[in-house]
Amino acid sequence: MPRDTRSPDGAVVEFENVSKTFNSPKGPVHAVNGLTMAMQPGQTIAFLGPNGAGKSTALNMLLGLSRPDSGRVALFGGSASQAIKHGMVGAMLQSGGLMSEVTVKEQVELWAKLHPRPIPVSDALKRANIADLAERRVDKLSGGQQQRVQFAMAIIGDSPLIVLDEPTTGMDVENRQAFWATMRERALEGKTVLFATHYLEEADQFAERVIVINKGRLLADGSAAQIKAGAGAKRLSFRLPGVADEVLYRLPNLVHVERQADIVRLQTSDSDATLYALLDAGHRPADIEIQGLGLEQAFLAITAEDNNGADTVAMEGAR
Amino acid sequence: MNATLTLTKLDVLRVLRNTRYLIFAIAMPAVLYIAIGNNTKETNGVEFKAYYMLAMATYGAFAGAMMNNSIRIATERKTGWTRQLRLTPLPGGGYVFSKIVTSLVTTVPSVLVVFALGGLVFDVHMDAWKWAVNAVALWLASMIFVSLAVAIGYRFDPETAQPAVMLVFFPMAILGGLWFPLEGWMDKIGKWFPTYQAHKLGTDIISSGTVSAGSIAIVLAWGAVFAALAVVSYRSAREQ
Repeated sequence: MPRDTRSPDGAVVEFENVSKTFNSPKGPVHAVNGLTMAMQPGQTIAFLGPNGAGKSTALNMLLGLSRPDSGRVALFGGSASQAIKHGMVGAMLQSGGLMSEVTVKEQVELWAKLHPRPIPVSDALKRANIADLAERRVDKLSGGQQQRVQFAMAIIGDSPLIVLDEPTTGMDVENRQAFWATMRERALEGKTVLFATHYLEEADQFAERVIVINKGRLLADGSAAQIKAGAGAKRLSFRLPGVADEVLYRLPNLVHVERQADIVRLQTSDSDATLYALLDAGHRPADIEIQGLGLEQAFLAITAEDNNGADTVAMEGAR
Repeated sequence: MNATLTLTKLDVLRVLRNTRYLIFAIAMPAVLYIAIGNNTKETNGVEFKAYYMLAMATYGAFAGAMMNNSIRIATERKTGWTRQLRLTPLPGGGYVFSKIVTSLVTTVPSVLVVFALGGLVFDVHMDAWKWAVNAVALWLASMIFVSLAVAIGYRFDPETAQPAVMLVFFPMAILGGLWFPLEGWMDKIGKWFPTYQAHKLGTDIISSGTVSAGSIAIVLAWGAVFAALAVVSYRSAREQ
């Protein structure tokens, strides 16, 4: 397969109506349920979802480690195993092990030799910030250091698709920054970087596209800004001594209400409308603050909404 | 193929750095041989020092073949190392190929160290061709345990692989007559063990220059069973 072969529409990753069901003692679990998505070259994509949303199952199918029950998964327009065989994929798995009884350098060198177009080993070590650990034994490293070894292994093949599962878990702030700086360079080179993470601020900062799945289905897909806007989410807080709960609950566009003595914090999909209604009802709140929500709150809002079976009108903008 | 050989080279290096291997497959047979072996009393048709040299060489090759791969494969499946390899261009059978070749390579020093002690320290005498045939026969016989180790590695997880190995290891070593010569009922049972017959191939070569078809048949029969187990375990583990 020549290096640039992609499916006709150029997608690096395609999921077409993919489903995967596991049997558990409590009955079948639909881990992935009719998932359709496509990723284009050069994108940096955050893949988010609460625990049990089907993220790992989806990533395993993407990498060809498991097969979908129905639907189609394609990498570069072909099968995952073909893409991997041609060195098109660099992956860093959460459950990915390392060798014992070898040095960092030996481990990374092995990976270089397994891939058809490796970058120099010393470069990979430098980019992963482990040049000083080169002669250390891999099994004697801390979790965060091992994570960086895996990182070097994910980039050494110079593969056009890089898949990272929880890549920065256990890394300190400095290494986390170095990690993302390197990933940004890879994306600028035209590589597709797909990462699953629990750190939503990382997704917010580094991903140009955010895909949220819940209950095995696609819940939101767009830029972080679109997702935040789509979650409708602004936080409106003020001080209003003695206000009755009923008054607050009657306000329009509410998503969530929180009270702490005199302080009221509302999450609302239209902060203007909510505030005007409060004023129109004759109340005069003090210390009014209106704040846009971060991706984390937006994520929590849309997944909670999805789990409660509430209508997802607020999400339309982000789909 | 290049990728597979690279992995194999590193795998060999890892075994040579492994303490368990150095103790059980190299140091222990050498030390036991030095401690017990220097005796000219005739045993099973040969001098005891030759008898015990073959016993310890068989033991070392057997220990090296058994212990390394079984626990290593079980552990590497558990830690995700095998998954990690599946995400590289390494061919599908590359991992198990590397493990088997590694075992074949790392059983060689076990045999050579004990043979060197016998020849150089204890003055064991035999024709040059007998040394060579003995070394090769032992090495070939130890291959059957390479398959058994693969079978255990793919059937058990790291916690249960260790007891599983011990359960096979001690009867095979003791009833195979590798630690001490057998008599009476033990000898009657031991005859059916591949370790016993692998060792007997060696003593027969020294004493008569020939080997019995029975010995070869027993070793091959066990080999066939272990190889079948290895294939079944490997296949079922891969399908999970």
